[in-house]
Amino acid sequence: MNLYEKSAAELSRMVRAKEVSATEITKDALARIEAVDLKVDAFLTVEAEKALDRAAWVDEQVAAGKDLGPLAGVPVAVKDNICTKGTKTTCASKMLGNFIPPYNATVVDKLLAAGAVIPGKVNLDEFAMGGSCENSAFKATKNPWDLTRVPGGSSGGSAAAVAACEVPLALGSDTGGSIRCPAGLCGIVGLKPTYGAVSRFGLVAFASSLDQIGPMARTVDDAALLFRVICGQDTAHDATSKPFNFAGMGPDIRGVRVGLPKEYFGTGVSEEVKAGVLKAVDDLKALGAQVIEISLPSTRYALSAYYIISSAEASSNLARYDGVKYGYSGRRDGSLNDLYLSTRSEGFGREVKRRIMLGTYVLSSGYYDAYYKRAKMLQRAIAAEFDEAFSQCDVIATPTSPSTAFKLGEKVNDPLAMYATDICTTTANIAGLPGISVPCGFDSQGLPIGLQLLGPKWSEARLLTVAKCYETAKGGFAVKEM
Amino acid sequence: MEFDVKHIAKLAMLQFTAEEAAAFEKEFAQIVKMVENLPEMESAVTLLEPENQMELREDAVIPSYPREEILQNVPHAVAGCIVVPKTVD
Repeated sequence: MNLYEKSAAELSRMVRAKEVSATEITKDALARIEAVDLKVDAFLTVEAEKALDRAAWVDEQVAAGKDLGPLAGVPVAVKDNICTKGTKTTCASKMLGNFIPPYNATVVDKLLAAGAVIPGKVNLDEFAMGGSCENSAFKATKNPWDLTRVPGGSSGGSAAAVAACEVPLALGSDTGGSIRCPAGLCGIVGLKPTYGAVSRFGLVAFASSLDQIGPMARTVDDAALLFRVICGQDTAHDATSKPFNFAGMGPDIRGVRVGLPKEYFGTGVSEEVKAGVLKAVDDLKALGAQVIEISLPSTRYALSAYYIISSAEASSNLARYDGVKYGYSGRRDGSLNDLYLSTRSEGFGREVKRRIMLGTYVLSSGYYDAYYKRAKMLQRAIAAEFDEAFSQCDVIATPTSPSTAFKLGEKVNDPLAMYATDICTTTANIAGLPGISVPCGFDSQGLPIGLQLLGPKWSEARLLTVAKCYETAKGGFAVKEM
Repeated sequence: MEFDVKHIAKLAMLQFTAEEAAAFEKEFAQIVKMVENLPEMESAVTLLEPENQMELREDAVIPSYPREEILQNVPHAVAGCIVVPKTVD
């Protein structure tokens, strides 16, 4: 097996046992990126020299007998909306095309403290707004399973880089499905943690009440490993983060009650996806789980509530881009208003403008009660429905996305069709719940299908246990040869 | 429903050409149609989460970021100051 195909857990063990050096792993990862990224287009920035310097430092620590963390020498790609000190953080936007943060996100500091090596930053839909990674101002990432198709979004670069074995781990962010959907479409594991489980400090804000950073990996063990490193309270920077003691995974799922909500298997979900997910649920049953039919009736309103709340927050969060303090700056030969207008009109892409406009509209005088207030009330109703459902079951199983990966360009001019790709995932963000996507087979075209498992707040250990038992029963998840 | 795209764009500090605005109006109408299917809700539902009491950090003096690092990203800075178009005559 090549080094680049190995799991993060194995690489870290090898580094600490001095079976391989961090420098060798980093050189191998950089060579792999050079070999396949021309096809996949996952990376926006590769910092070979910086990564090799860092790997040399890791090797020095190992040689000096210092106990490095659980990611010693492991390459981890970082989504380009997560701040990295001294390295460009563009959000895949012309607006931040040259932005170099003067600080690290808390998760990046945690990666470094755990011994990780960051080879570069990966692509996304501009400001994490999109479901295909085509809204990037710089390039469209391709799905490693079929290079004519999208990897999903918005963390499409993270998912594609992991699926193509460019890195064993990547960080993504999930506001309405942006970790789980690309993980599902690229055949990897993606965990969206409970809101507050991971610090958001240094994550460029899209919708602050919904955004969460989470791990993406080829195995459940690796996703758990990265989650353990990044979770926990950040009292200095993020008042919404909470203490989190990740208990680790259990040995089996005997007696675990799996809820099957009929609303997630209705119109719009492809027959092949339904069949793949239901087969996986049968597999869980064979492992000792109990399957219960449940109902989450407010699901049909979730997409609307999500687009209202997230766009409202985005319109407010993105008001900071004014061409004055950082980022793209427009014309300076007129008034301050002219500077604001030209900066924002030239710096933001089409989808970002759509969301800002929608958010501004739903918050504007005369419309606030009809849209935003009602959506916020619906948010509580959806959360209450989940609470009720979790009195009957321990986890909920659904498709991650209604279809497998679609063709590049297929939905790019149809915002409603693109928004509908989030139909199974937005509820977890609205209710603040954790969710994981694991691969559950392929459709007739050989494209991966994703199984989504949702749990009550702070139930990551159980979600990962169910995912791990499923993975073991399947003999591991398939990796695309490239 | 009719939308005053021009007015919303003004509030959002965005500018559209006539052609962009026309295309946008059509898309926007579809998006608003999608999101306006929300049911009537009891207004008694509280929007606050009693279990989610945000913990604020201690009010302590800590060093700020070095000025030159912050100014590195400023589009136009002179003598350590951020330059903007004239705002007062």
